[in-house]
Amino acid sequence: MRRRIGTTALACATLLVFAGCNGTSVTNDNAGGGSDGKDGKGEVTGKLQLTFWGGAARAQKTNAVADMFVKEHSGVTIDRQNADFGNYFNKLNIQASSHTLPCVMQLQGRQLNDYTKRKVLLPLDPMIESGAIKVDDIPKEIVDTGRGPDGKLYFLPYGAAYDAVGVNQTMAEQAGVGLPPDGYDWTQYTEWITKASAKLPKGTFAAGSRGGLPNFFIAYQLANGKQLFTDDGKLGFTKESLVEYWNMWEKLRTAGTTMGADAQADEPEGAEQGFIAQGKLLTDSIPGNALTPASATLASKPGEQKLTTLPMPSGPSGGGNAMFTSGFAIPTNCDNIPTAAAFIDFFTNNPEAGAAFKSDNGAATNQKVLQAQVDDPKLAPLKKHELELYQQIVAKKPPTILYPPGYQATFESAFTRAYEEVAFGKKSVQQAADSFFTEANAGLGG
Amino acid sequence: MTSVSIPTRRALLGRRRTTNPFVIGLIRHAFLIAVLVVMLYPVVWMVAASFRPSAEVMNSLGLFSRHYTLDNYKHGWSAGQLDFSRYFLNSIAITALSIAGNLFACSLTAYAFARLEFPLKRVLFGLLLATMLLPYHVTLVPQYILFNELAWMNTYLPLVVPKWLGVEAFFIFLMVQFIRTLPRELDDAARIDGCGHWRTFIRIIMPLSLPALGTTALFTFINSWNDFLGPLLYLNRPELWTVSLGLNSFLDVTGESAYGSLFAMSTLALAPIVGFFLGAQKLLIEGVATTGLK
Amino acid sequence: MKSSRTGREGLTAYLFLSPWLIGIVLLTLGPMLYSAYLAFTSYDLLSPPRWIGLDNFRRMFTADPRYLSSVRVTLVYVVVSVPLLLVLSMVLALLLNKGIRFLSGYRALFYLPSLMGASVAIAVLWRQIFGGTGLVNQVLSLFGITRGSWVGSPGTALWTIVTLNLWAFGATMIIFLAGLRQVPVELHEAAAVDGAGPIRRFFSVTLPLMTPLIFFNLLLDTIHAFQAFTGAFVVSRGSGGPADSTLFYTLYLYQQGFAELKMGYASAMAWTLVIVLAAFTGFLFLTAKRWVYYGDER
Repeated sequence: MRRRIGTTALACATLLVFAGCNGTSVTNDNAGGGSDGKDGKGEVTGKLQLTFWGGAARAQKTNAVADMFVKEHSGVTIDRQNADFGNYFNKLNIQASSHTLPCVMQLQGRQLNDYTKRKVLLPLDPMIESGAIKVDDIPKEIVDTGRGPDGKLYFLPYGAAYDAVGVNQTMAEQAGVGLPPDGYDWTQYTEWITKASAKLPKGTFAAGSRGGLPNFFIAYQLANGKQLFTDDGKLGFTKESLVEYWNMWEKLRTAGTTMGADAQADEPEGAEQGFIAQGKLLTDSIPGNALTPASATLASKPGEQKLTTLPMPSGPSGGGNAMFTSGFAIPTNCDNIPTAAAFIDFFTNNPEAGAAFKSDNGAATNQKVLQAQVDDPKLAPLKKHELELYQQIVAKKPPTILYPPGYQATFESAFTRAYEEVAFGKKSVQQAADSFFTEANAGLGG
Repeated sequence: MTSVSIPTRRALLGRRRTTNPFVIGLIRHAFLIAVLVVMLYPVVWMVAASFRPSAEVMNSLGLFSRHYTLDNYKHGWSAGQLDFSRYFLNSIAITALSIAGNLFACSLTAYAFARLEFPLKRVLFGLLLATMLLPYHVTLVPQYILFNELAWMNTYLPLVVPKWLGVEAFFIFLMVQFIRTLPRELDDAARIDGCGHWRTFIRIIMPLSLPALGTTALFTFINSWNDFLGPLLYLNRPELWTVSLGLNSFLDVTGESAYGSLFAMSTLALAPIVGFFLGAQKLLIEGVATTGLK
Repeated sequence: MKSSRTGREGLTAYLFLSPWLIGIVLLTLGPMLYSAYLAFTSYDLLSPPRWIGLDNFRRMFTADPRYLSSVRVTLVYVVVSVPLLLVLSMVLALLLNKGIRFLSGYRALFYLPSLMGASVAIAVLWRQIFGGTGLVNQVLSLFGITRGSWVGSPGTALWTIVTLNLWAFGATMIIFLAGLRQVPVELHEAAAVDGAGPIRRFFSVTLPLMTPLIFFNLLLDTIHAFQAFTGAFVVSRGSGGPADSTLFYTLYLYQQGFAELKMGYASAMAWTLVIVLAAFTGFLFLTAKRWVYYGDER
């Protein structure tokens, strides 16, 4: 028995010695394979791989669109892949490592520059020039969210999501506070929360403990007219503004106005199971398209409470809303660019495709597609509210945020973690802000 | 619980001895049942929740509801791009091929390590054990690159072939331990009857190793059936999806989740493993018994 | 004559070994060596690896507080969960041992959680049980105890993962149970005649005979505990939170490799773990001589 471990150690040692002399470095570069048709022109035929995030419901709609495309273009077959948001990107990265990214891959601005930095995406501008992809009906501000730091377009946004402030109208009325006034700012919002808090039934809270929610903070910075990131991808706002922001939340939390930090960490996944959907919160930041599913859960509970969404609080610089767009990109290893371009154009601009997808991942960016949905008399009132609020926000020309490489992995997780350390009493606000700045600046851009 | 009996037994040696076993037995059963109730509550809750209407699924910590429904099963079964009958068939195929592969490769390898003398035996056995120490995430990327080069994407090969090549060292280790407990005289007798190693292996060692084979089969079943990362990476087309991929698609942070369907299908997904376990239980007990003895 | 026989046996042996040899060279050794090479590089998966010498290791121990905190979390987990698991499995195996009725029923039910794997459903269940308004707190409130979420507090989240691990004690218990059945009844009877009570008999007869199994389980469970991943991954939804309290070693490795795209750093972490595990295994084997009882040796 003991001898065996001797050999184990020996084996390990052997391995370590070998380790020095390089493994097989597999870097056969397909990039540029199929260099013809970088303008997206060419025969639309053959195999196409499509990958996106989402659960069963979204997959069904996406597949319906893909089937329509296949029907219109005989000779095209589409391989579809989907996974939930977190696993989707891990898988995408592994695919990137072997240069097998699917020809049509879904991205958001938040991860875009992880890929542009490594030059694995094709610019779509030549395809727009050639007419293979059309952007005429998409607002310029929305198209711009698909651009990299070099100004080139790397993904074509098909859906624009926004974060909103969700308010439980029924609870607000019962507490006698009504809705926050039009154009309310952060001070008014927190005062409104505090005022309502005293009159809420037991077991419910005025707000979640949300100091760690990155998108809420982005809204705060935008409303105050601060830049989020510098041109070289580091943090562009001041430490003081972060301290101020966290202090605001800490004041609410320690006063018992918001939910405790541990309870917040419990929140189940999915729009229809969130705390606001369960009737536990008066207000919370929710994705704009969470209104419908969250309302459905509330409606199934006693009391028939109603939910609505408002724009983010504004500030000296106007509205705090930003657009979070999703769209499709084409990787450099793609060997069927014309078909990929045709599919992206179809998915984004075709009226029937838009009608089938039903703005499932943010409002349709193509304004004609969107207007058709809004005008549809069969559209549910809540969904209509979602889409109209989007139109309202986009009319104000929200700023475009250029997210540096590493944003999603470093910024978001470090931000949430740093605030958790404050809320759980492990660090002071100042200490947490210090360590957040160190960590984020080390991980971002580089 | 045994400790309860000490003072009473010392004090009243005679009469109590006859009643003691019954009382002790009762206490023992009561204790075991209490532990079981605590342990199995989550599972039972999941099964109960799967029969509740979807609005009630997450609301109650109790087991009972005023209205039960099969809706979650109906919706869950047909959710996604294809229905679960396809996912179940795929999972069964992958699991069956994996079990066969592990049994084949691990038993051959184990026989060599347990019964044969050959150059570098110690080194190779050390290597075998060393591979158990490496977290699998590290070899993930190189393996992915390799399978991709072999054009094995969207086939079951990346999930199954490694089993036929004995990549799971633990099972080899388990079988080596088991075969070592079998008396050498059997081999010698077979040798005298003119059996070569191959026939000794097939005729003598394999039939006697049934417990170790059963254990390996069961553990492989559990692992393959529940595996998520492998199918996620290698199987893209929905028609190849496994049950665990299907289950994952019920949760979606960026859209709607379906907890009722999740619980319903998770309940169904558990059934084949439980069935296999009940069938293989006897073998498992004998199989694991010897693993640590030598 | 003899040498040709062993030569032929060697040949046969390698025939038997051939599937495994192909597997270990192609699927294990190749990737292992490659990852060992990556440990000395900066590799973001998307562009080719770049040699940086020992930088990854230096960063690990001097400039990465999260790494050190993941080491701490993992060590606490190993030290707490492995002994608890062994004791719980042993106690229940003892209770189930002595010719109890419905043995196979009990055994199957105790084993059930081990069959479930760590799926998304388990993750949801665990939050239902250990959440703020979860089952545990509702039971506690019957006794007038109110407290916050177990999963959601950094002080207790790790314990819910320990519990998740303990929940699947069936696999370990079954090994003990099988071993207990092989303890000769005569030894117990002889000890009883000598006046040894059940506790004495357990410590002087059963326990020594069980040491090989304890050793085996200790070894395997410790390796598993060091590599623990899925439990924390599903319960914390991959974050290792709240506030890094469930950031296990392999979870952090996974985050670094696949989310932050630092595959070189992740490989360096993996190899550090392998070395620690090899050292630990070696240490355990060295001590085995002192406390593991192998039949007639003592």
